[in-house]
This record gives sequence, C-alpha cells and structure tokens, in this order.
Amino acid sequence: MRSVLPRVTFSPGLSAARRIAVAVAVLLVLPQSHVRGEDTAAAAPTAAATLAIDFASEVRPILSSTCFRCHGPDEQTREAGLRLDTREGALGSGGEEGPIVPGDVAASELIRRITSGEADERMPPPDAEKQLAADEIETLKNWIAAGAAWEEHWSFTAPTKPELPAVKQSDWPRGPIDHFVLARMEQEGLSPAPPAERAALLRRVTLDLTGLPPTIAELDAFLADESPTAYEKVVDRLLATPAHAERMALDWLDAARYADTHGYHVDSIREMWRWRDWVIEAFARNMPFDQFTIEQLAGDLLPEATREQKIATGFNRNHGINFEGGAIPEEFRVEYVVDRVQTTATVFMGLTMQCARCHDHKFDPISQRDYYRFFALFNTIGERGIDGATGNARPLLTLPSDEQREAFYAVQQQIEELSGRMTARAKEVTAEREAWVARRLAELEDQQSAANDASTSAGTGDDAITIVDKIILLPAEERTDEQRYQLRKYYVDNFDEEYRRLLAERKKLKRQSDKLYAAIPSVMVMEEMEEPRATFVLNRGLYDQHGTKVSGGVPASLPPLPEGAPANRLSMARWLTSPDHPLTSRVTVNRFWQMYFGTGIVETSENFGSEGTLPTHPRLLDYLATRFVETGWNVRAMQKEIVMSATYRQSSRTTPAKLTADPQNRFLARGPRFRLPAEFIRDNAMAISGLLVKKVGGPSVSPYQPEGLWDEVSFGIKSYGGLIYKQDHGDALYRRGMYTFWKRSCPPPALNTFDAPEREVCTVRRERTNTPLQALVLLNDPTFLEASRHFAERILAAGGSSDADRITYAFRRALARPPTEAERDVIAAELAERRAAYDRDPAAARQILSIGESKRNETLDDTEHAAWTSVARLLLNLDETITKN
Amino acid sequence: MTGPQEELRRLLTRRYFFGTAGSGIGAAALTSLLAADGFAAAPEDAQGAVAAKFEPPAPRGPDFAPRAKRVIYIFQSGGPAQLDMLEYKPRLRQLHGTDLPESVRGNQRLTSMTSDQPSFPVASSYFDFQQHGECGTWLSSLLPHTGRVVDDLCLINSMHTEAINHDNGITLLLTGRQQPGLPSMGSWISYGLGSISNVLPAFVVLMSNGSSQRKDVLPLHHRLWGNGFLDARHQGVKFRSGADPVLYLNDPSGLDRSEQRRLHDRLARLNQLQYERSGDPEILARVAQYELAFRMQRSVPELMDLSGESQSTFTLYGERSRTPGTYAANCLLARRMIERGVRFVQLFHRGWDQHDNLPADLRRQCGDIDQADAALITDLKQRGLLEDTLVVWATEFGRTVYCQGKLERNNYGRDHHPRSFSAWLAGAGVRGGMTYGKTDEYGYNIVENPVHLRDLNATILHLLGIDHKKLTFKFQGLDQRLTGVDEEAHVVRDLLT
Repeated sequence: MRSVLPRVTFSPGLSAARRIAVAVAVLLVLPQSHVRGEDTAAAAPTAAATLAIDFASEVRPILSSTCFRCHGPDEQTREAGLRLDTREGALGSGGEEGPIVPGDVAASELIRRITSGEADERMPPPDAEKQLAADEIETLKNWIAAGAAWEEHWSFTAPTKPELPAVKQSDWPRGPIDHFVLARMEQEGLSPAPPAERAALLRRVTLDLTGLPPTIAELDAFLADESPTAYEKVVDRLLATPAHAERMALDWLDAARYADTHGYHVDSIREMWRWRDWVIEAFARNMPFDQFTIEQLAGDLLPEATREQKIATGFNRNHGINFEGGAIPEEFRVEYVVDRVQTTATVFMGLTMQCARCHDHKFDPISQRDYYRFFALFNTIGERGIDGATGNARPLLTLPSDEQREAFYAVQQQIEELSGRMTARAKEVTAEREAWVARRLAELEDQQSAANDASTSAGTGDDAITIVDKIILLPAEERTDEQRYQLRKYYVDNFDEEYRRLLAERKKLKRQSDKLYAAIPSVMVMEEMEEPRATFVLNRGLYDQHGTKVSGGVPASLPPLPEGAPANRLSMARWLTSPDHPLTSRVTVNRFWQMYFGTGIVETSENFGSEGTLPTHPRLLDYLATRFVETGWNVRAMQKEIVMSATYRQSSRTTPAKLTADPQNRFLARGPRFRLPAEFIRDNAMAISGLLVKKVGGPSVSPYQPEGLWDEVSFGIKSYGGLIYKQDHGDALYRRGMYTFWKRSCPPPALNTFDAPEREVCTVRRERTNTPLQALVLLNDPTFLEASRHFAERILAAGGSSDADRITYAFRRALARPPTEAERDVIAAELAERRAAYDRDPAAARQILSIGESKRNETLDDTEHAAWTSVARLLLNLDETITKN
Repeated sequence: MTGPQEELRRLLTRRYFFGTAGSGIGAAALTSLLAADGFAAAPEDAQGAVAAKFEPPAPRGPDFAPRAKRVIYIFQSGGPAQLDMLEYKPRLRQLHGTDLPESVRGNQRLTSMTSDQPSFPVASSYFDFQQHGECGTWLSSLLPHTGRVVDDLCLINSMHTEAINHDNGITLLLTGRQQPGLPSMGSWISYGLGSISNVLPAFVVLMSNGSSQRKDVLPLHHRLWGNGFLDARHQGVKFRSGADPVLYLNDPSGLDRSEQRRLHDRLARLNQLQYERSGDPEILARVAQYELAFRMQRSVPELMDLSGESQSTFTLYGERSRTPGTYAANCLLARRMIERGVRFVQLFHRGWDQHDNLPADLRRQCGDIDQADAALITDLKQRGLLEDTLVVWATEFGRTVYCQGKLERNNYGRDHHPRSFSAWLAGAGVRGGMTYGKTDEYGYNIVENPVHLRDLNATILHLLGIDHKKLTFKFQGLDQRLTGVDEEAHVVRDLLT
C-alpha cells in the first residue's frame, strides 16, 4: 500500500512551528486586527504537493474536522447516507463505488463536490463553519491520485511491539527508547545534545522522581561516585523513597479530581484523604498498574474484597456532590454518573466519550447507545442525588480505629441493655396501667355523654390522645396487638416515672452514640445497589428524558468484553487492562512521558481520538505501551527506563539553531527544561530551607493563606464544615503542597496561581503559564519569606564562615551547583547593601525576620540573619530554582 | 546588560503579560531583536518561530468593528425578583391571592422547595411602579435612581434559562454550561481580545455582600471567573478591599520601593546570567513577569485609591461608595478600571434569593444597588466612556409570580423562576430607553421575543466585535465556545443601535 515515493512523515512540531512562523511573518506586515488563523493557513505554502501523502497525519485530520460532522459516525445527523470515517463509506464496498475512486481524481465524486462552483453542489456547503483551504483540497487530490491508501484511526488498533529503527549515530542510544528518539531526530536533521552535567542531572532526576531537590550530601555522594552505575544507584534510591510515591500520586489526584470539599453550591467538607493515602501507598508498593486500575474501578466487586480494595473505589466518588436546597435529586445523580464516565474514559482510554452523551460522537466511533451502555456500569450505586450536607455522602465505608469501634459498641450494648430494662418495666406496670385505662375510660364516657347533651365538641385536638382514646374506648378483646402496644407505650411514656427516667438515659446514650459514629472516619466508595437501577438512553442527555433501556457494556468499536463475563465494572476494569486493549497502556505511558518531558508523545494526553493530535513518535509510544504490559504493568520499571535513557540525560542547554529547528523540543534533541508544577515549587522551597515536614498522608492541612479568602465566597450559614478557614500551626504549616486542603470554590491561591486546576473535573494535563501574579507569590507569600528566613539560618549554621563559602553553600542547596563569579558578585552586592541598611534600621531587620510562625534562632545577629534572608529570597525567586533543568 | 536584551525586556513587558494584544511592530521588533541576539543565522521565518516561543498566541482580535471595547458585567447573584423591580404587571393586583392556573404553570418543573405546595397563590408586588424618562418605562418604587437613567437602559423582560437552582444556573450564565469545567465569560473575552492595559489584567473580579438577611447565603465559586481549559493567564484576577488588593501584592519584608527596585534588578541580572548559559527564552519571559509585578505594585494601589475622587463623585455614587468592599465602591472602582484599560470587569453582588421576607429584604438589596447603578451609567456617560463601554446587569434566573410559603398582606416570598426574568444592558451599541420581550399577564411565560442566556452572551460578544461562533478553542476534540458547541445562540439584533 505504501507509495515508493519518499514519505512525508508527520511532524507536528515543525508544522506547528511553520504555522507560527507564517503567523509571525504575517504579523510583520499586517495590523494585528487583520490576522486570523484561517488566513494565515491559507497563505502557507503548499508543501509536499508532489510527494505521497500520509493518510493518518495529513488526510484523516482534514476529513475529520471538515466532513465528519455530517458524514461521520453520528447516524442522526448523517447527510445523504454518506460516511467518510470508514473505508467502506469512503472507498465503497461490495463492488459499489464510493465517493473516492483510488487513483482516479477525475472520477471521484468527492473531488467534484469540493471543487464545484455551484453553491448547491459545493461541499462543505458555503454556510458551513469549516471550509476547505486550497492546500487541503490539493492534499486530498494528491492522496487520491496516489491510490487513496486508507488506515483505521491509529489508536483503535492494539499496539504491537515495533522493531528498533536503524540509526546512524549508533553509539548514542543506551536503550530502545533512544533508538526511536534518535531515528526521529535524524529524520529531522537534528542530533542529540551532550549529556547533562552530572550535578544538573542529579537535580533533574531528583526533582522529577520526588518533587524535591537533592541534598548537599546526596550531591557530594553522587559527584564522588565514579562507578558506571552511580546514576542507576541514584535512580533506584529515589524510586524507593516515599517522596517518589507522593510525586506519582500528585498527577493522579488531578486526574481523579480529588478535593476536600463537595464542589457544588455550599462546597462544604468531605473526607477522601484515605483514598488519597491509598494511592500513595499503591505507588509506594509499586502496585502493578492493572491491579491499580481494577481496584480503583471495581475493588468492591472483587471476590472477598478487602477494606483497602473498597477504599480504592473512592476514585469514582471524587466527583462533585450537591445538596443545594430545592435541587432535583435525579438531575444531579445523573451528573455524578456522567462525571464517572468522563473521568474513566479520559484517564484510562484518552477518549472524549462525554461527546456521545447527547448524540452519537461526531468524530470517534462511539454511539450514544455505547455511551449509555458504559454509563450503565456506573449507574447502579446506592447513592442519592442530593447528599453530603454533613460530610461524606453514601455509600460509605466507615473506618473506625479499634478504640472507636470499642467505644461505639460499648455504648450500643448499654443502649440494648436499657431497652431490655424498659421493655421489662413496661410489663411490670400492668396493674397500674390497667387502673389508668379504667379511669380514662370512665372519663371518656363522661365526656361523651356530656357532649351528647350539649352537642359540642369535646375533643382535645391532640391526635395522640385521640388515637389512644379510641383504643381505650374499644372493648379490650377487640384491640389488635399493635393497639395494645400503643397503649402500653403511651402509658409508660407519659405516666411511669421509672420508665421515663430510663428513656431519658437512653436518649442520652443515643446522642453519645451518634457523636461517636460521627467521629468515625469514613470514605466514600462504590457499592452496588441490591436492586440495580435500570439504565436508559437519555434523549439529548437530559436526566428525565428516558429513551430505550440498555444494559451495561463497552463501546462496540473496541474489543468486546470476554465471552461470558458479566457486564459490570469489574469486567470492564479487567477489559481495560487486557493486553489487547488498544488504549489503556498507550494512554498511561503517554502520561508518564509527559511528566518527564513536559509534553506527551501524544500532546493531547486527554484525547487519543480522531480530533486529538497524532503521536510525534508513534513507534516509541507503541514500544513503551507494549513494554509496560510486558513488564506486568510495572510502573516503577517504566519510570526507570525513561530516566535511564540517553534521551532523558541530555543537557537542556539550547542553542539558537536548536531552538529555531524545534522551539517546543518535540524531537527531543535536548534535555527537558520547564517550570515545576505548583506543589513542587512549594515543596522545593520548603526542602531547601529545611522547613519541610516529611510526614506522608493523613488529613489535609491548612497552611498560611491570605485572610478572608473563603469568607468572600462561602455560604453565609457556617454550620457546615469547610466554610471557615482555620489555619493550622506547627508541623502542618510545612507539609508538602499536595496535602493542602483543597476547597474547590477557592483552590489554594498560591498553587492555583501556578496552574494547579480547580479539581472540579478530571485533568490530565496542566498548563504552564508565566504571569506576574506568580512573581508576587514567590516574592511576598509568607510561606516563601519564612522559607527564606529559615534558609538563611541554614546558610549561617552550615555554610562555612566566609561570605564566599556561604554563597557557594546556598547555591548548592538551591541549585545543586556552585555560583559563577558573576553570580557571586550580585549576591555580594545584595549582602553588602542589606547589611548596611539593617545596621541603620534594626527594626527593618526584625520585620523581615518576624514573618512566619517557626521559631528563629535568637542567638543569630539580626542584621546578619536578615541580610542573608534577603539573599535566600533572591535565590528562591530564581527562574532556575523553580525550573527542572 | 546588553542593549538588545534591555530592549527585549521592555518589549516583553508590553507583550507577554495577561495576553496583551501585541502590535505588528512589536512582533517585527522582537524578531529583529532575536536576530541581534545570536539568531541571525536562522532563516527569517524560523526566527519568527523562536519569537513565538516567547509569546503565547496573540489574542485573535475582533472579527469586525466592535461597538464596545470594554465590559462591566454586573452579576446580581441569587435571582432578583423581576416582578418587584423591573417588570410591571398591573393585572396582578386583581389576581393577587388567586391560584396560578395550571394552564399557565403547564408542566414546568418546579424546585423541590415549592413543588409540594398545595396551592400557588399569585403575589402581586408590594411595591408601586412609576413611569420614568422619555421612554416612559415603568419601574418599581425601589429603583428611583435607576429611573433617572432609564433612557440609557435596554431592559429585557424575556430572559430565560434551563437551570432551576443556583449552582448550575450561575454556572450556565457565566460559563455557558450548567456543569463545571468550562472557562468563564471574562476569560473567553481575555482570550479573544487580550488586555488593553500594560499594567493591569484583562479580567478583574470585584465582590460585595448584600444588605438583606440573605446577604451571603449564596456561595460564589472560583469557576465563575476561572479559565477552564484556557490558559490560566485568562483567569479573572480578584481585586479585594483589604490591604492586599491583589493577593500577595504588598511586600511584607520592610524594603522600601528603591530597595525593592534593586532586589528586582539583581534578580533580573541573575536570571539573565542563567539565560546566557541555558539559552531558554522562557527565562527572559520570567524576567519580564517580575518587572510587571513590580509595576503592578504601583498601578494597583493607584487604581484602588479613591482619595483623588471629587466630592461630587461620592455624592453621585452615594456616601457608601467611600466604604471599601461595598457595591457602590465597587461600581466606582469598575469605572476606574475601565478608565485604566481593564477589558472586562465583573461585579458579583450577593443577597438576592428572596424565598421569604421579600418586601423587607428587597428594599435593602435595592438600597445597595439603585443609586450606584444609576451613578455608574451617569459617570461613564459624563466621561464619554459609555460610548465604547458595555454595561450588563444580569442574574441567573428570576422569581415566581406565585408565593412561596404563606401569602400575607405585607409579606411573601418567591421561588426560582427560570422561565422568564429581567436583565438590562447599557452603553456601547445598545438601544437605550427600550423594553424588549414580553410575558403573559401573570409574568410567568414569555409570549414575545424570548432571549436565552446564550443569546445574551452571543450579543455581548457581538458588541465586542466577535462572532460567537468563531471564538473557539479546541478542547476534547471539539471547537469549544462560550455559547456552546451544539446549542443554538443568536445575536439579538433588535437591541442594537
């Protein structure tokens, strides 16, 4: 099928660069307001006109974005019965000609229509939003002329292990990854960068694998270790740290939209940190990813599911939950299921399944029916649409400590005992009760006769009395058991002092029991209803518009569930991790790659479908995906393989030529360099300063936060948890950023400023922006000023006695390298100025030293400590400090 | 520091922050600078590619000549009762206390707060209505000041929405969809048009609590000014009334301004040295951001400082405008922001959710806003700003004609009513003195010219020179837009001059 002509390979980086280049070129001559994407695309030179065309990278995207809307998978909106997303539809089948005739441009109806001058023939119709550009028409013609080679969308076919490509610079690769990367570089006329300096590499890999910087001892040990396995030893050491597990968990928390509040409306507190700790523990134990997947999606359905496996299912309870007064429960319950479908499909399959909620997917082969069959798998949880007012919403797993369990059962026992005594007491007082009944009967008879005389109502208006009175008026032998019980109860409730005393005591115990129960921690989990709820296609996606009834299942275009497997979450989870699933392994290794290189092999890590970007290194992706499965879904082994590669170990230093050839570094001819994620910016400063408290897991913490932030947005009635910010003190102020209490309506401001998402919906890719607000955080947030003060203390305590030594120490701590002479001069100037200023104005020194709650070493000279605090502040604000280099 | 790099720094400060719209000249200069900075060997278009790495994509700019350059969007949170404020329904006097006929109510869903009510007694407004202005629009006695500017207002009485409770109603109004996850309107506009100012964000948020008993019972939410899938630079920046109007704006370390300047210079120098070693232009962008932060420490306090405003201005907005954090103060600040080049100012005012105790509560709420609203219009007009500033006054839904709870002579409440409600527009490109849309005699169902929230959003974008179908961002495989991927939305041309 392949043409013999040189194949134009896909090069998104370059073509993107080309587009931008053209855009900028146009900018040079046109006023800003005239510059529009379409115009510039049209103005782009039509490259490759004489070369063979690659279907997947060049043709399919045109068909997908221009034609599929009306001639694609969606049956409802398909025009003229024509579909262009399948080979049969486009090229014809069974002897019938399609709109495309391979090799014959003139005979292809498609070409006739897209080039027609007649408005009623022209495709796309003149009023369509998407029009074909001249170069796109050219591409389609060339492709047909060359034989119209057709391929299915790449990501729907299971990956196979590719052969290692040949490379010219054969001494460069350290492993298979490097073969693929180098082959691509060579294709682009690029060559690898030299290896990173050892110290730089240590800092990079330490930040990447743990989110923390290397200590000076670690730096010295590595620099002193001349053995060929020195680096590997470091990698193994780092992979085994709890910090590595925390680092891996962070990305998963975004994907799983983990938060400490419910999100909707009042946005009050929930407690899901035990699920979060389960994730950290799973990474710490290097749980295979298939098990990691199965337990989170369906741990409750595993045979003899353990407590931990049930906790894992909290993954799909992290969605927002609403208890707004007046809201319609079913409307929101449906949203929770929708959220689970979206999250599961995005995280594990890179599919935009949510597009099929209201109608068949416009671009990918997912019908609305497919959607609701998948939906059905998540729709049978014993949950309520309006819930969560008092914390976690059912279904819950309670997790009492032994003491809590004992205390709770002790009270239960007392309650039971009391109940027994009360029943006995009610029987003991039979004689007294009979006497009372007789008296009351007489009274009633008197009243009745009086009423009959006066024709006036004698009712007391009290229904209870009325009911009881009615019973009393009945002949004793006609009373039912229920009525006899009511009578007994009424008597003791109202007239027997001993019984009433017992009752009061039991009420007290019940309150105590409620209190004990409320204090028992819980986690929201998945739990099937006893009577499963039926699932219907929801017309237009609306909760109350039931269409046909459907049973659970997976999209028809993907491999089927194994024969005989029940259509439930467990089967689905196992299906996701079966070796022939085309998506799960690819999507997962792509996210790993993204962690280290800033961009995935597929840039749109959330979308592997027709409208997603194509992989820059498709064979590398398939290698990693098949390798992942081959290792038994060994997560840690994959991290190691990536960071051991020569690709990863390149210097990130760039040159004008490299930057020009590949501005986004998509071809990896240099090492990765980009800003740390929000949480690690904080963690890094905490670690450098020595303030970091390395406790793993536990309830979320509330570090410093500007006053009043929650008040501005919170519900006015503060009887719910999570509405008033109560700052913690002591160790809780110095925990890693990932433990910061996450309020969705007001995410932690410093983290949010550095692109942490709101955690309202599943996020698998964070932006990396650069804004002045970030500068303000690093300069002025007390967190960073306190870290500066503490860092200064460390410098003074451990950095030697001369300024020069101390500056070197400070640089090595913050950046894992000594300063250059020029840098030393800048720092020295700052020191000199601050010393002089603080000598003149001791109050100013005390001011900067007073920030933060941690104790300072009072034996230090104020001026000296304050001056070094200013130096430390400079260092914590450097681009290099907040950047993985 | 070398000359060209100094120049680059200057350039970046103008171009990078808050997605400021660049000029063609700026891009040209940047490219030539790069050439001077060691990129000379690269072909010209490749230099451009490098330049592009410095810059986020420039804002796309308007599709056609805009009528409005800026927007002040006043969001009244909770659903003000249109029948007591803006929509005059004289027949209700006679219908007062009668049960709302089922034929009118139809099969519309009600919130679970009133769906079980045994009856739906019509509550006519406790307040009298008067005619105002040349246009003769009827407004309730709660809004005398608004009456004075009514000839500048374009009142819409036929707004409608699908959402029936606050959370999804607000989210639909301000992000275009009921469920979380999409960018807010301000961030779409920042993305589309960028900032006008060099030293202030494109999208600013101001908040105030109401004076009613329910002054703060409705929560606000980050997503309402969040950036969703757009770049976080387009997120609304909250301006607060305390000592730090922008989070972490003030330097608490005790350095004076010149000392801070030197700190910044040293930081820039150190970053510069690192750039020379590593060659990553991102470092220069960071330098530029610090420079802008430094400038914001001047520009923001200057903006927030009302001491230069004249007594006549405070008289216009009312004395409460002297108290930071009040609605009146925020209206005045909104005008100052517009003057200084903020593209989109969003006001949030809480306290509108009169399920009960409506007459007393509404009097307090209208007391918060009436004079300030009128003052804002008057002030903008006096300064010639109303010509190219659009003012939007809107809410997530209206309130029912029937009474929630017990209907008393002097007291009643109203439930959420998505089927019809009121909003108004004023300023650039909008027909003043007009009343648009009509409901039935009960004020329950729209009978003429319905305007969906999405239509309102399409109209706002249109006034800014943007075709709402073209302001898109590819996410999850779809060309996402404020007015929805699949949904209908129409520019309401009848409202435009």
